[in-house]
Amino acid sequence: MGLLGFYLRKAYTLFKNQILVLPSRTAVLLFALALVCLPLFTRDPYLLRILIFTAIFAILAASWDLLSGFTGQMNFGHALFFGVGAYCTALLNLRLDFPPWISIPIGALGAVLTGLIVGIPCLRLRGTYLALTTLAFPIILMGVVFAIPDITGGELGISGIQRLSHSRVTDYYITTGLLLILGFVMWKITDSKTGILFHAIREDEVAVRASGINTTRYKLYAFCLSGFFAGIAGGLYAHIMRTAGPSTLEVALSFQIVIWAVFGGIVSIYGPVAGVFILYPLLEFLRILPKVRMLVFAFIVLLTLLYMPEGLIPWIRDHIEKECPRCKIRNVAFRKECRVCTARLD
Amino acid sequence: MKKATVVWAILLAIFFVMGVGFPVWGADEIKIGVIGPMQFTQGEGHWNGATLAAEEINAKGGVQVENAWLPIKLVKVDSNEFLSIPDATNAIELAISRHDVDFLVGGFRTEAVLVMQDIAMDNKKIFMGCGAAHPKLCERVKEDYDTYKYWFRITPINSRYLVKVDFILLGMVAKIMAQQLNIPKVKVAIVAEKAVWADPIVGIAQKNLPKMGMEVVGVWRPSPVATDVTAELSAMQRSGAHIIFTTFSSSVGITFAKQWGELKVPAAAVGINVEAQKDGFWAATGGKGNYTLTINTYARVKITDTTIPFYDKYKKRFKEAPNYTAGTYDAIHMLVDAIERADSLDPDKVVPELEKTDKMDTAGHFVFDETHDVKWGPGFVTALGTQWQDGKNVCVWPLNWKGITYEGAVPYVVPPWVVEAYKK
Repeated sequence: MGLLGFYLRKAYTLFKNQILVLPSRTAVLLFALALVCLPLFTRDPYLLRILIFTAIFAILAASWDLLSGFTGQMNFGHALFFGVGAYCTALLNLRLDFPPWISIPIGALGAVLTGLIVGIPCLRLRGTYLALTTLAFPIILMGVVFAIPDITGGELGISGIQRLSHSRVTDYYITTGLLLILGFVMWKITDSKTGILFHAIREDEVAVRASGINTTRYKLYAFCLSGFFAGIAGGLYAHIMRTAGPSTLEVALSFQIVIWAVFGGIVSIYGPVAGVFILYPLLEFLRILPKVRMLVFAFIVLLTLLYMPEGLIPWIRDHIEKECPRCKIRNVAFRKECRVCTARLD
Repeated sequence: MKKATVVWAILLAIFFVMGVGFPVWGADEIKIGVIGPMQFTQGEGHWNGATLAAEEINAKGGVQVENAWLPIKLVKVDSNEFLSIPDATNAIELAISRHDVDFLVGGFRTEAVLVMQDIAMDNKKIFMGCGAAHPKLCERVKEDYDTYKYWFRITPINSRYLVKVDFILLGMVAKIMAQQLNIPKVKVAIVAEKAVWADPIVGIAQKNLPKMGMEVVGVWRPSPVATDVTAELSAMQRSGAHIIFTTFSSSVGITFAKQWGELKVPAAAVGINVEAQKDGFWAATGGKGNYTLTINTYARVKITDTTIPFYDKYKKRFKEAPNYTAGTYDAIHMLVDAIERADSLDPDKVVPELEKTDKMDTAGHFVFDETHDVKWGPGFVTALGTQWQDGKNVCVWPLNWKGITYEGAVPYVVPPWVVEAYKK
């Protein structure tokens, strides 16, 4: 009993000193709570469907951030991992009768393998050349999909896949639950030693190599990790849609991922997640203006990025929090002194 | 006083139960969701056809169900399916759960329709397909009847039949040319846009044309958006082709027809050219697309008694000829007939009535097979072959085909420069 009390007190202290001290962390907590509690207030199938897709695409956008934002490996063909995850999951489910909880992680391993295959030829490339090369891969795979229709279903894709679950609310909890878990895992990765090395590779790869670190290994690691998370998103998508088709490999999807991530703010994990949670439902809402839907959408994105070039979430965060000039710890904006080192914040 | 309150409460409860238990008593209209890519010509066709049908039915007082006359209310649902499949699924979910539609008509891109079909079936909504031709959509009805019985395809005919019509048209032109120009063995150049959907047609053509007594002189695959195909046309001319067998769905159809007419390539153009189905084709090719022959669904020809009135009304109202997605017009009329026969809006009662459909509608005689696909063949829906003849897109097939001739159909005309080139 005494031990339980100790841990409860410890958890409360951590909660108070690590989460409630910063508005951004409090907002993330409230966001997670809102997601968990939503079905208690509404079970509208349309709303839940949108949020299911939003959660899936949020995992996808965050996985892009892990590779392109943190490691600087600009990937313009991220739909490749998504598509491979979707197709592998679909084939495993349809041909081998694997249930979703097995087909999705194994399908994601297919995307990891793809990450390795793509990563190796891309190791020597940087910037524009890397971006263009990555763009080519989903197009190549789409050609393969059309070339072997007996396996891939050709232009129709693979349909008749098992449902993720038998209720919309369960689907919702699985997808949003996975978003919260995988989002947290990705965030912890970026906060770990590996994450710091990803950062360093992006900033100055030569310096990192000069420090005796095998950057090749870490870059491949980033490709594989990113592929895994995107593959999970692809697998979820396949089971929700009950189909995996060529549209999962489309160039438009790859660019959409970049738009979501850049709009939310890259190099943060939560930025791309927020980007998807704002933009995807917004596009649905804009159905009220059918003729100019895409135009208004593009205008909003453009305007936001014009005034908030680092993305919406970093802009908001910089207005409600400030960084201590001495210890680099973030503080709520109205504080005069740093909460850790008591240095003046003005 | 207390007794009166109890009576009122019982009466209110009865009305409530009646309202919930018998939806049609509570319903004051029939909501039909028209789903399609509304920012594109295909979606416009869906909406325009449905609008005309709903207006006609409402003008007659609506639909008679259980002694009530219910008007039709159309709900426009933009699936955006060309650009995003999730968008299409959200759209159909929106139509079902928010707009509370009773029935659905439309759909275009097969990959999207497959997913939309699943959602409609989960919700037991009758979905009348008016755009996707792939056989898979109807095969599902046979594979799992209880789940997919709410799906029916109205237009176009199954893609297998479309290919069949394509080859019938080619055979017809080959026969006419052989007879008129004394060509012993007709040579055919195959030209198909570089797109996945065209690949099987090219393969079948290469395999089947020799069996049909024709010689394949080559295959050309320009880009679907090519703006210049003179090189291909010159090569076809040098190959000695008498016929160019076309498979185009994109803008290359205009480029090809225009340059074919300008160069006066001595080979007749026949096959699929979606651009040539549109009214704007004549102006887009500057009249150079004259004599182009394509598969079509509608022309000003008497397929049935309702075809010409529908065609004229559509053209007057929307300033263009109907395309095949305007088959929503037939779909809604068929649906209304089935509802009235079933005397119910309950989909499980309407489905058996739809299965019994035996109706002459604008595109032909509609009967569904066991997969809920529209039957094709003489005496059923046939599709058309239409040729541009001096600014008019006229029907040239069926004309004495297995005893079928549509009133208003005219003979195929071999382009004069082709006659000139081969006449001995």
